[in-house]
Amino acid sequence: MTGAYTEEPPAGRIAIAGGAIRLGGGAAAFEVVRDIDLAIPPRQFVCLLGPSGCGKSTLLGALAGHLALARGSLALDGEPVAGPHPERGIVFQQHTLLPWRRVLDNVAFGPKMRGVPRAERLAQAREFLALVGLADFADRYPSELSGGMQQRVEIARVLINQPRVLLMDEPFGALDAQTRLMMQEVLLDIWTRLPTTVVFVTHDIDEALFLGDRVLVMSARPGRILEDIPLAFPRPRGRDLVTDPDFVALKRRCLDLLRPRDGRPPLPRLTPLGLPLAGAA
Amino acid sequence: MSANAAAARRRYWILAVLSPLTLLALWALVTAQGLATPMILPSPLAVLASLGDMVGHGYSGVDLATHVLASLRRVGIAFCGGALLGTVLGLLRGRVAEIDALFLVPSELVRPIPPLGLIPLFILWFGIGEASKILLIFLSVFLIAMVNAQAGARACSLDALRAARSMGASRVQAFRFVVLPSALPQIMTGLRVAMGTALTILVAAELLGGDRGLGFLILDASSFFRTTYVFAGIVLVGLIGLASDRAIALLGRRIVHWEGKR
Repeated sequence: MTGAYTEEPPAGRIAIAGGAIRLGGGAAAFEVVRDIDLAIPPRQFVCLLGPSGCGKSTLLGALAGHLALARGSLALDGEPVAGPHPERGIVFQQHTLLPWRRVLDNVAFGPKMRGVPRAERLAQAREFLALVGLADFADRYPSELSGGMQQRVEIARVLINQPRVLLMDEPFGALDAQTRLMMQEVLLDIWTRLPTTVVFVTHDIDEALFLGDRVLVMSARPGRILEDIPLAFPRPRGRDLVTDPDFVALKRRCLDLLRPRDGRPPLPRLTPLGLPLAGAA
Repeated sequence: MSANAAAARRRYWILAVLSPLTLLALWALVTAQGLATPMILPSPLAVLASLGDMVGHGYSGVDLATHVLASLRRVGIAFCGGALLGTVLGLLRGRVAEIDALFLVPSELVRPIPPLGLIPLFILWFGIGEASKILLIFLSVFLIAMVNAQAGARACSLDALRAARSMGASRVQAFRFVVLPSALPQIMTGLRVAMGTALTILVAAELLGGDRGLGFLILDASSFFRTTYVFAGIVLVGLIGLASDRAIALLGRRIVHWEGKR
């Protein structure tokens, strides 16, 4: 479909070796994730599943280039990751659309930053809005859209940069259950049409199993990868998958893995800077 | 707009117009009843007559328009300069820790000093000409604009900045296209406050000698107990304040069209 995306298919191979991330400074510094060894082939849809505060979002932040590794290496297609780059697009739980720009201009933000002429970037933006099914909402402002539509626009404005990797940090976590299911199907539909590796962070087991080619289950902090579960369910996947006996069996296994050990209380959530919020549970 | 919203809007404007009219009526009533001597509180009509006299014959040999323009020029230059510099510096302070550190102590030392307390110093440093008047107003506007822009620059969420950087925005572009617009609502509020303060300082600044300007007019009239002229001058300053505040508020609503819709 999208003409802009048809040239040589971007690769999107992720390799992490001995990765560890420390947050906080001085005596307060602590290791959020450690011993991460991970190879993700191009175009794979990987879900990072873990309890709250296990550092899965922190790991995603490192993939995006917003955080640096304390140890180990992190590379995309053989090139070390250093700083944010449009080839590694990220979608957060809360949309980051600019409320002062129309939906179309929001989608055209990336090309604008690269200096693509206005007519060209708006044409591109229309294509990607159509891709997420919002062609008729180009002239609206973000505040005029529902939560699900806002996240679809967010996905379009990341995809317009033709990322090799799409990073998603609980992107549907703030949506109601109904919209959430719908968005999962929208995402799979888009992904099958674009050559993009996806790393999707969630704490929802059903979501991880429904979406992924592979689920990485993380331990509580310091986060490590406990188990690497391949998912062989055929695509396209339908809603009835969630009642499939294999699905249910895997879900039980994930529940077991995620159950807190030794009766320890769950960890506090991490702020965007990685530090626990004072007073927040 | 629904009928309900239209009714609410009409009610708003009726109240907004009735309130000053009521105050005016109260003023007229008090003076008509002879509850205050004209020297202390002249009647509205007497003030209007003095205003008319000044429009026709000027004040102390100078056109009323010249007085008004002299004041507007001082406030205008000081406001534009202070707003621009204060906003730029405030935005930078909000986002660059080193710049914030440089300006923190000096600006917080100066901010609590009442501008009137600086008048003798400014006379010593800059004389009694235009420079010290404009600089005194400039300083107040600058400090208010800076504090507000700084707070505004911090209103921008970390995720929004990270998302922009991940979409290819450079640091400068993220500042220009994300931080600045996020800060605009607070910047515009700061400018309204700063304009009000600027007019307050104007009258004081025109204490620094000179023979024109609304502040001069008010002070000169008061030293000759020409109370109706004092009131006329005050009314003019008030009207300028009202007009400039409404202008900035209107401009703000145009620029910050998304506010309150998130």
